Amino acid sequence: MTDVTITLLPASPLHALEIWSNPASVAKRFKAACGFALPATGCSDGNDKLRVIRYEPTVWLVEGDASALSGILWDDGALTAIGGGIVRIRLSGDGWRTLLMEGGVFDAESPSFAAGCSAATIIDHVNVRLHVVDDDICDAYVPLSYSEAIIHFWKTAALSLAL
Amino acid sequence: MINFSFDGKNYTAQKGDTLAAALLRNGIGLVGRSFKYHRPRGIMTAGVEEPNALVTIGEGGRTEPNTRATDVFVYEGLVAKSQNRWPNLSFDIGAVFGLAAPVISAGFYYKTFFGSAKRWMFYEHFIRRAAGLGNAPTETDPDRFSQRAAFCDVLVVGAGPAGLSAALEAVEAGKRVILVEQDNILGSSLIRDPQELDGAWVEATAERIRAAGGRILTRTTASGYWEHDLVTLTQRIAEPGQIPLQGVAQRLWHIRAAKVILATGSIERPMAFAHNDRPGVMLSQAVRTYVHRFGVVPGKRVVIATNNDDAYKTAHALQAAGAEVVAILDARPAPAGADSGLPVHNNAVPLSTEGARHCLKSVTALVDGQAQSWHADLLAVSGGFTPVVHLHMQAGGTLDWNDAAQAFVPAISRQNVTTIGGAADPKPVFKMVPVSKPKKSFIDFQNDVTLSDVDLAWAEGYRSVEHLKRYTTLGMATDQGKLSNMAALGRLAEKQGVAIHEAGLTTFRPPYTPVTMGLLAGAGAKDAGAHVRRLALYDVHAAKNPIWQPLGYWFRPRAYPAGSETLAQAALREAKAVRSTVGMTDVSTLAKFEVSGPDAAAFLEIICATTVNKLAVGRGRYTFMLREDGFVFDDGTVWRLEENRYLLTSSTGGADRMATHISYVRQYLCPHLRVSAVNVQEHYAGIAVAGPKAKVALSALIGEEPPRHMSTVPAVIAGVPVIILAASYSGERAFEIYVEASHAGAVWAACETEVMEQDGALYGLEAMEFLRIEKGHLVVGGEVDGRMTPHDLALDKMLNKTGGYVGASGLSRPALSETGRRQLVGLEAIDGNNIPEGAMLVTHEGVSPQGHVSAAAFRIIEGGSIALGQLTDGFARHGEELIATSPTRGQKARVRVVAPHFYDTAGERYRD
Repeated sequence: MTDVTITLLPASPLHALEIWSNPASVAKRFKAACGFALPATGCSDGNDKLRVIRYEPTVWLVEGDASALSGILWDDGALTAIGGGIVRIRLSGDGWRTLLMEGGVFDAESPSFAAGCSAATIIDHVNVRLHVVDDDICDAYVPLSYSEAIIHFWKTAALSLAL
Repeated sequence: MINFSFDGKNYTAQKGDTLAAALLRNGIGLVGRSFKYHRPRGIMTAGVEEPNALVTIGEGGRTEPNTRATDVFVYEGLVAKSQNRWPNLSFDIGAVFGLAAPVISAGFYYKTFFGSAKRWMFYEHFIRRAAGLGNAPTETDPDRFSQRAAFCDVLVVGAGPAGLSAALEAVEAGKRVILVEQDNILGSSLIRDPQELDGAWVEATAERIRAAGGRILTRTTASGYWEHDLVTLTQRIAEPGQIPLQGVAQRLWHIRAAKVILATGSIERPMAFAHNDRPGVMLSQAVRTYVHRFGVVPGKRVVIATNNDDAYKTAHALQAAGAEVVAILDARPAPAGADSGLPVHNNAVPLSTEGARHCLKSVTALVDGQAQSWHADLLAVSGGFTPVVHLHMQAGGTLDWNDAAQAFVPAISRQNVTTIGGAADPKPVFKMVPVSKPKKSFIDFQNDVTLSDVDLAWAEGYRSVEHLKRYTTLGMATDQGKLSNMAALGRLAEKQGVAIHEAGLTTFRPPYTPVTMGLLAGAGAKDAGAHVRRLALYDVHAAKNPIWQPLGYWFRPRAYPAGSETLAQAALREAKAVRSTVGMTDVSTLAKFEVSGPDAAAFLEIICATTVNKLAVGRGRYTFMLREDGFVFDDGTVWRLEENRYLLTSSTGGADRMATHISYVRQYLCPHLRVSAVNVQEHYAGIAVAGPKAKVALSALIGEEPPRHMSTVPAVIAGVPVIILAASYSGERAFEIYVEASHAGAVWAACETEVMEQDGALYGLEAMEFLRIEKGHLVVGGEVDGRMTPHDLALDKMLNKTGGYVGASGLSRPALSETGRRQLVGLEAIDGNNIPEGAMLVTHEGVSPQGHVSAAAFRIIEGGSIALGQLTDGFARHGEELIATSPTRGQKARVRVVAPHFYDTAGERYRD
């Protein structure tokens, strides 16, 4: 069995943050309110209270307390709750990259996919968003309806990957 | 020693033996029967190109038919069986077909089995019995198959000397390298000819590749080369029929490589002469492989036929192993082979062989124009070398003709792929033309195609090599012409009077070697290829032991039987509860989109074909959506939750399609709008409460007056915030309660308690279907089938008169609203029979159908069969009597055309 532990994380507020106009102004207001910049495509950033992952050109996944954000959007964007439909799964151990290649199409084994990187990809037909926490931890955001199946898939795959 | 069995008899093998090596080690020459004539066949090669020694490996669900004995490594307990014979391999009744060979040559099927369909039904029975080689297993494969991705800078295919060197150079230059080898050990030609670079070099090179971070995959075949340098690999983790460790038998790799290096080597060619298919006739390099790799000497008195220098290595290897080389038939003129110290005959080509079922006895050759014979039990032949260019060609490459090697070699590459080693630079050979009688001179051993079959095809007008292939079946089946194609091309070129490279080529298609179906299905093989989507309330439903129904990728409760109720009984009871008291059901799978921003209404008026911007906050409406060609593709409801925030619902089955459509409109048609459209299908679980007592139940749940029909309010149930939409899909006063999915359990429990308090019931999809048909509500995939316009569905009065929605232009075409189109109608049975769902609608027997039944049910309280359907000019035919007939099921009913609403046509039950 490859070295990876699969853990279901407790539910956390998740929102989709979309910005449709004045992105530079919104970014400035965002940094002033949150203390860090809106991350670029394929990246994530955050602090203990808030993590922000960019997964579309104009859309970010916001994890944690987003109450400060509605005040900085004005008429330039919207915040929509999506947390009820997403399950967070933590993959820990140095085998998480190997595991993510099983049924995958994304190069999780690339050294450049390092802490602070994110990706939106498909794993065994399921749309999954990934966030690299550090060398030994990657968090996956999985649709609720597929979460049971993908956890089973990963646990089964982990057993065979040592072969 | 390793124990295995062949045709029920036990044998032993040595570690590392292929089944072919083990059979030869045990003196077994006869391994199979040919496909068409049931001719006795032995082992011809030592690799994946083997055309003859096809066997069935394993038992039960692990049975793998048509496995090459040269491509399976013996493990303890391996069970192998010969194929295509009855009652046994030595005495095969099917061999009688060999006597009939003159009349069942190429094209036999096309010339014989024609005539009326009735005749074909007769022929088919016999053809199907005779067709095929091994039998597919009837039991489920108990093993799992894995699919895996990998990325690299350099993918090297083939771990011979060229491949190993290329991989080492790349990995030591800092590249991410993957090296794949179809054998279970590295070295390829070096295993056969260890004197060139020994095993120590192979091991040291492999170690250096691994140490530098390279990945080496053995027992892995590059089976396909696709667009953008995507290469698929098939990796055998367990041997055919073997119980795999951890359950995974094989793995399919998808490799995306920046560069691909093909070091795939070449395949030795046989020669065409009479009875060249007899057990005991082998390829020269294969003989050398068995001697050097496995320590097996396939014959004691050996004749070698060649047109090149390579076969002399085989002669020396055999001599060193104690065999007697009685003659070398070298097609080249003297002095070729003169300094070999072997009994060389120049200008010599084999003419024929003689032998028994199991073995070879003698070889006859034409030497300087004179026939000469030798007693021999092994004939090793080398007719030249065919570079393995399959992957190069699958990648879109072209070939050049190498006259010295009499072979095609890779030329232009259209992807980032290079060919090196023997595949790029084959050994020179002497050009040979078959001189033997063509009737028993086989060129495609697997399909029993002879030179005379090619001649016949040519005589009957088949000029293209592609036509030749299909007429003769040459180059088909498991070996895909690896040994036969060049011989056939040579004969065709000879007939055409052109050079071989002018005769044309057939197409190289993946896979290079056969791939099991389970591997293509991957982990989803047990789930029909995809995961099942689970409802947020799955555990709640499962505890009630419902009848489940697949709905797209979802599974939803179809009914909740009480006691010994059947599905029909349970569904009718549940539907009656909705009509008489109150029922509740899970509607979580409906598509849901939250649309926010100052331009939200404008955006929705492009998505929806109805008006939206006139909705007051807290109000909702029915809506539908069109494709750009003006046809209806989905429907649902739209709700104004706040000034600039809307909720759009649409069908479960069309959810993914609608998400794509919304994304398309947002990003391509309306990037300028200040709007966000987010898919919240899974964020909200949905619970529908419907029936005359629904309002009472909801009042008790939320502690206030529920919203009126088509209104929405936020509320709290069981301490959980919810959105309540007063909408009905049943014909009764009804509410949909949307709650964040992670809190749905508490809300469901509270609702269920209250519904039971009102003498209500849970209901599933079957009852929902009864209710919506009786009320005349549409379902996407049923009445909305992609061919119906708003006019056909009587929705045209709801269209947004200002236009501007997707599909408005398409819908303006006159043909989409003219008479004569299929239109939505209701149908009621008038003869007491049930209306068959899917039945054709006809005026009387024997005429063309004028429509069909899209959904059928019963009047829930009164009884009687009713249905919805599509009927030509249906709106104008109310009152007409028709026949709904389903000949394939032997069912029919007389029906009357009516309006498609059977219940509460005034809609009074929606209102308080």
